[in-house]
Amino acid sequence: MLAHWHIRLALLAFFTLTSVLAAEEASDASGVPTYRSTVSEVRVTFFATDENNHPVATLTKSDFAVVDNERVVRNFRSFTHSDETSLDVVALVDLSESVAPRVRVAMTDVLQLVAREQSIPDDNIAVLSFGGTSGGAFGGIHPAILCSSGCRDSDSVSRLLAVKSGGTTPLFDALIFGADFILHHRRAGVRPVIILFSDGDDTISLHSSREALEAALDGGVLIYSVDMGTSGNQTSGSAFLRQVSEATGGRYFSPRFSKNDGAATVLNAVLEDLRASYVVTYDLPSHQAGSHSLRLLPTHNLNLTFHSRNSYYYEPSGH
Amino acid sequence: MKFTLLLTFAWIVTGVSVALAAPLGIYQHGTVVRMRMGECMLMHRSFISAFGPPQAAAVEENCPEYTLVTDKVVFLIVGKSSNQLVPLAEVIDFRFHNKELAVRVDDARKESKFAIKEMTLRSEWEHIQRHIEDQLNDSPHRGVDTSLALRSRE
Repeated sequence: MLAHWHIRLALLAFFTLTSVLAAEEASDASGVPTYRSTVSEVRVTFFATDENNHPVATLTKSDFAVVDNERVVRNFRSFTHSDETSLDVVALVDLSESVAPRVRVAMTDVLQLVAREQSIPDDNIAVLSFGGTSGGAFGGIHPAILCSSGCRDSDSVSRLLAVKSGGTTPLFDALIFGADFILHHRRAGVRPVIILFSDGDDTISLHSSREALEAALDGGVLIYSVDMGTSGNQTSGSAFLRQVSEATGGRYFSPRFSKNDGAATVLNAVLEDLRASYVVTYDLPSHQAGSHSLRLLPTHNLNLTFHSRNSYYYEPSGH
Repeated sequence: MKFTLLLTFAWIVTGVSVALAAPLGIYQHGTVVRMRMGECMLMHRSFISAFGPPQAAAVEENCPEYTLVTDKVVFLIVGKSSNQLVPLAEVIDFRFHNKELAVRVDDARKESKFAIKEMTLRSEWEHIQRHIEDQLNDSPHRGVDTSLALRSRE
């Protein structure tokens, strides 16, 4: 399944490594030699936030440098506003026993999210759940699709209100399922986003946390996680939520935030990030096969924080 | 009152001296070409974490490590905490201060101090870089640990 995603990565435009034919000299019928060269380009979508964690609307290419596999890149091929103009949102909700006391609040948040007609078209929002007791024959081990393309119908709303919490937490499996689900609806110019409501603790997944993260990265999905854990403690679950959000270029909302602010605030953040997004492209600095680490850092104003995925996979052509 | 005046005077002198450092030529110039998160240097660990029981040192923090290239010398400098950043501008200004390297950030009154982990002659460093590039070009599909750029002499 993961190999399938690696292949798909090469086809996706979110993060494109374009490999053209290797350098080759040939002659056409007229005897004029034709030269072909190798061009490998890395394309990174990102946004920046200031010291108050607000997105920065106006950036220039001299405001940042890219660190690609430790190498500092300042020469960019292009720097433009992102052409993504709308969102494809999957709300992925943890219904397991460990978050049972907070499931009602989370579902209210999800309903608020679904109700925002002016922000997301009806076809672009779906709600999935994992854990709980409404997951079918396996009692929540497999993720369930609560609604898709029609979440604002009265039937769908009733279904969302009827969910019951309990059982184990297949978080990593659910993330992989969610990334795969959203990719089936993928369209150009639409940003795929998972808003994950969970405490970050997994108890029963077949897949590992690393595989879940790879699935999200391979699909170019941004994860915005809303921590449903108890506030005040830095748990391993919180750490995972923070890691997966930062690694995909999304954001993490702490339990304190989740308690005081509703889903509307999260969605506003997602929309503001979308509007403030830029795309930078540069020549692949090293043809080292495998995973390349990625980080954007400020060149002058050290109060700026840049948000983008933190790695990409490079596979030389012909392999 | 006297103390406040003294403190204000000291603050002004410090600010002015830092602001004048560049025009007076105290600052040297360089470019950061590499960055990685590595181990924090031992000298910055607390006594307890360095010499205490194992659990005291269990939480390891990563610190940013930069390769700073100047005209003659290449420095490997390390920050003191995970979020201590160097502005990755084309040219950065720095000076030596108590065996540390102080980097000037845009706000002229502020300097950020880094431990110097290694120093290499630029010619030697470039030679090593070329060797690494050749290795990469010879075997494009085999991984080469380019983080050994400065350490390959050891």
